[in-house]
Amino acid sequence: MVRASALYIVIVIALVIGIICSSLVVVAYFYREQYQRAFRYDALQNNLNSGINILIASQDNAYAEGKKVSLFGGEADSVDLKTVVWGIYGIGVVRAFIQHDTLSRAFSMAHAIDSAKWAALYLPDEDRPVSVSGKTTLKGNAFLPQSGIREAYVDGKAYQGDKRLVIGKTYSSQRSLPPLNPVRISELEKYFALAASPNSKSLLLDSISHSFLETPKTVPMGKNVVSLTGTRLKGNIILSSDTTVIVGSDAQLDQVLIFAPNIKVEEGFKGNCQLFARDSISVGPDCVFSYPSTLGVLRFKLNAAAMPAAINIGENVSFSGCIFAYDKSAERSKQPSINLGKKVSVSGQIYTTGLLGINDDVVINGSVFTGRFIYRSGFTVFENYVINTTINAEALSPYYLSGDIIPVAARKKKVLQWLE
Amino acid sequence: MAGIKIRMRYRVSASSLLEVIVAMVIIVVVFGLAMMIAANVSRGSLSVEKLHAQAVLKNVLAEEEGRRDFVSRTISIDSVAVEQEVKPYDAGLVEIHLTAYDNSNKKMAELRKVVISNDEETR
Repeated sequence: MVRASALYIVIVIALVIGIICSSLVVVAYFYREQYQRAFRYDALQNNLNSGINILIASQDNAYAEGKKVSLFGGEADSVDLKTVVWGIYGIGVVRAFIQHDTLSRAFSMAHAIDSAKWAALYLPDEDRPVSVSGKTTLKGNAFLPQSGIREAYVDGKAYQGDKRLVIGKTYSSQRSLPPLNPVRISELEKYFALAASPNSKSLLLDSISHSFLETPKTVPMGKNVVSLTGTRLKGNIILSSDTTVIVGSDAQLDQVLIFAPNIKVEEGFKGNCQLFARDSISVGPDCVFSYPSTLGVLRFKLNAAAMPAAINIGENVSFSGCIFAYDKSAERSKQPSINLGKKVSVSGQIYTTGLLGINDDVVINGSVFTGRFIYRSGFTVFENYVINTTINAEALSPYYLSGDIIPVAARKKKVLQWLE
Repeated sequence: MAGIKIRMRYRVSASSLLEVIVAMVIIVVVFGLAMMIAANVSRGSLSVEKLHAQAVLKNVLAEEEGRRDFVSRTISIDSVAVEQEVKPYDAGLVEIHLTAYDNSNKKMAELRKVVISNDEETR
């Protein structure tokens, strides 16, 4: 007997069709959902990049307090923009959001180099020439005193470099160096005030990592000499002290700022940091500072009793970034100095209104702005002699960016580093 | 012939008329619903053309940022007409507004971005 049972068969077919239709609807829903998510992500990314461009193009402190901006006057195009001073550079923080979706980016900004102001060497005109001797190379444009540059015998050795003396164009320099950016100087002065705040107390440090998307973490070290030994500090951290800070060879510093009257970096340290001192910075031999690092001494007040501010860099140090010395008083006996040990390699910029002490086999891939050169040989001191030194502006990476504190910075800013 | 009677040897059980009618109604209703859902899904899903238009806009924007000669113009790429409008945004910035249209001049996708315009002499 064959059963017809049409109704049962129809119900089964209807069920199958229903299941197929439901799965079709579910698949379409998920596809749509995922696509909308991807579309929102694209839009956020676009808004984020627009925000980054706005911060890069901004020339003042318009975004220092943070600002919420509707990019095109629409509903789904809001961004939060903020800039923070980070040593000699700037930090930009952008947050783009649509409903509950948010994309954030933090990056450091620095300035391109103005080709009209860029030079391998800038030596102010003090009515005396500069002399070169030994294996010396000066490559790139040079701003020199009107009395020019000449070969010299030092310790019985003649000049052995290129016969042109300066491989590049030479221009007449002014009576003084182009000044450091006063706005940036005053911003750095505020950081030193952090250490002197009455609530400063010493904190024990072990390992701190702090995001650049948040407000900077200030670590006051108080009046006790603190040695950062085995310490790991990474990110948005400002360490300030009322006395000496010793950076141990095994300390791991990444992006960190340190402000103190004296800073001592022990032999063999490797890291990336910006160190600012009021009196002195001493770097032991064989240290490696990766780009973008900074060493700066800044003296804002006349102190008759104090020694001149100085940066002393030991032998065989490799440094990438900016080294500068600043003293507000123009007193000649208090002029700040930077002393480079033997075989020191600097990729970047050196600026001092005072003295630049050089030793044999110093290599500077970048530029030197200095009041005078000093070379010590035994008991003899040679002033304005460049001996056994290479200054090569063309060897500096074309991607090198400068802090706006140095007077060769162009108005144009670029992204220095993606931080978050 | 008309007078011949067919005598079945076995009894065949069949569905009743009512059962068949109910089954037909159900199958018609279910098929109708299925067709409606299928139509809705296919209409609501994103067309390949729209995705293509958005990809074209992304490419145009990337090329434009690389070239840095920002001018308002209309270009045609792969049967997509791209209208590029460049407006000053802020000091040193311009807004690029890209809109993609299909052959029947229907808007398919849109993209806006603020880009840096100035380019001073640097090292």
